[in-house]
Amino acid sequence: MDFWFSYIALASIYVLLGLSTNLLVGIAGIFSVSQAAVFGVGAYIVAFFLMNDITSFLPAMAIAAVCCIALNILVTLPALRVSGDYFVVTSFGIQLLATAVFTNWTDGTGGANGLPGIPPPDLAGKALEESWQVVLLCLGGMALGCLIFWLVMRAPFGRLLRAIREDELAVAATGKSVLRAKVSAAALAGAFAGTAGGLYATFLSFIDPSSFDLDASILLLTMVVVGGARTLAGSIIGPFLLLALPQILTLVDIPTTIAAAARQLIYGVLLIAFMLFRPQGLAGEKL
Amino acid sequence: MLALQLLCNGIVTGCALGVVAVSFSFVYATTKIFHVAHAGVYTLGGYVAWSMLGHGFPTAVAVLTAIAAATALGALIQGLLYARLERRKATHLVVLIASLGTLAVIQNILAAVYTADILRFNLPWGAEVFRVAGNVRLTMTQLLTVVVSLVAYGGVMWFSNGTILGKQIRAVASNPFLAEITRLQPRRVHIYVMAIASALVCLPGILVPMDFGLQPYNGITPLLTATIAMIAGGVGSITGAFVLAIVITELQNMSLLFIPGEWSIGVTFFIFVIFMLFRPTGLFAAAR
Repeated sequence: MDFWFSYIALASIYVLLGLSTNLLVGIAGIFSVSQAAVFGVGAYIVAFFLMNDITSFLPAMAIAAVCCIALNILVTLPALRVSGDYFVVTSFGIQLLATAVFTNWTDGTGGANGLPGIPPPDLAGKALEESWQVVLLCLGGMALGCLIFWLVMRAPFGRLLRAIREDELAVAATGKSVLRAKVSAAALAGAFAGTAGGLYATFLSFIDPSSFDLDASILLLTMVVVGGARTLAGSIIGPFLLLALPQILTLVDIPTTIAAAARQLIYGVLLIAFMLFRPQGLAGEKL
Repeated sequence: MLALQLLCNGIVTGCALGVVAVSFSFVYATTKIFHVAHAGVYTLGGYVAWSMLGHGFPTAVAVLTAIAAATALGALIQGLLYARLERRKATHLVVLIASLGTLAVIQNILAAVYTADILRFNLPWGAEVFRVAGNVRLTMTQLLTVVVSLVAYGGVMWFSNGTILGKQIRAVASNPFLAEITRLQPRRVHIYVMAIASALVCLPGILVPMDFGLQPYNGITPLLTATIAMIAGGVGSITGAFVLAIVITELQNMSLLFIPGEWSIGVTFFIFVIFMLFRPTGLFAAAR
């Protein structure tokens, strides 16, 4: 039972991250390998506020979301002003920089040892001690995220983003600001990633830099690619499938020393195979 | 004294990264692909050389095998992956994701075979120390790195301006459509470009780990510095990429006097942000 609880909770958190990555990569068409860094910033902020008893859970989540929105705007704005390829460099840079901060800023993040003992989330003054309560909270977060994503994609803003993917020049010619739309999409992606980070930190009650490194970013990208870009279904299918993969791998007899490498290898192969043979993923649209 | 030593080390690493930047710039200017998997080719070269040396082959054989392996890998990536994607009119984003996937595959095969632990080259001649001006020490490997890198840079300059293939490549880079109708066969030229760039990146891929050791995930930071150098130098300028790689590594090394080493990625990135804000076309950009 515990296994299912943690699988569902983690999958819901990763669905939020999948939505975030999908907004950035699938919908705005920005190649990003720094999603895990934003996720990590959210997680560390929420952990900081809860461990030092500064605020309760919901305000901490709100602060994390706002910080991640600000971070994403700050990161995307200068690079996208110039060219999409500049953002590739920015994205790698931010990811490596974030890993350096998470690992080396021992006072704030606990360094490589991580932060243990993050208190459980609380709602309306009551702490959610039972694991099923936290699972419900994560599912609720996922449902809310999906709803927001769906509403945004139906709104004029969503249509603008779609139009940009079809023809950037035509959109610019109608007087819409492409840069502004892309940066707004990135901001929304930041809010999703920050929220997911907060849920992750409180659900596991322990975070360390290895959850937020480049490999994690590649995993997020793989989830969106496998599930399918630009659709809600894709962002849900991808995380649920890929989080089951490590469990399947335990059935195959692989030495534990190379298990992590084997997993990442599979993600790489999936990325190449899907790009070659099915760029729209399992349930997505043309990437 | 420390400053002088850091200055010298900066030139050594800078020259090596200069070659990475030149090779990346070569691919990027011609194929317009942001070839992230180049970091994997860089890493592979070092590992091939390391295992050949471990099996008792002479250094020259090991280096040549490594270069051959890297060249083949580069040509394969272009022929089997990028060319196919291009034929299917894949978007830029799709190619980038495929490239990232390739990088993950190469790195993790290496990690699975050789483990993620740091491996060191055991070369007695490489550790021989020379004193340059006072107390500044340079090892044989470091001197070799500078010499090889400068030769590689000169070679690329000569190749690009003085040979027919080099001129064809520049023609394809400047106008693929025109190259197609004048029977320059851009697809074939792209494979040559990837092969040459992969052979080139193999040199620093062997020389840098001789100094710092090998790790499967160690290709990304050099590639990041190299791409920043390429952008700061001006896309398409070989000299710009090479010079800026030295300058950036130098700044990064001198920053060690004030900032601990684990933050040097921040210094590199800061330089990039400055360029992005104030001079996004780069210093040596050709007039357009």
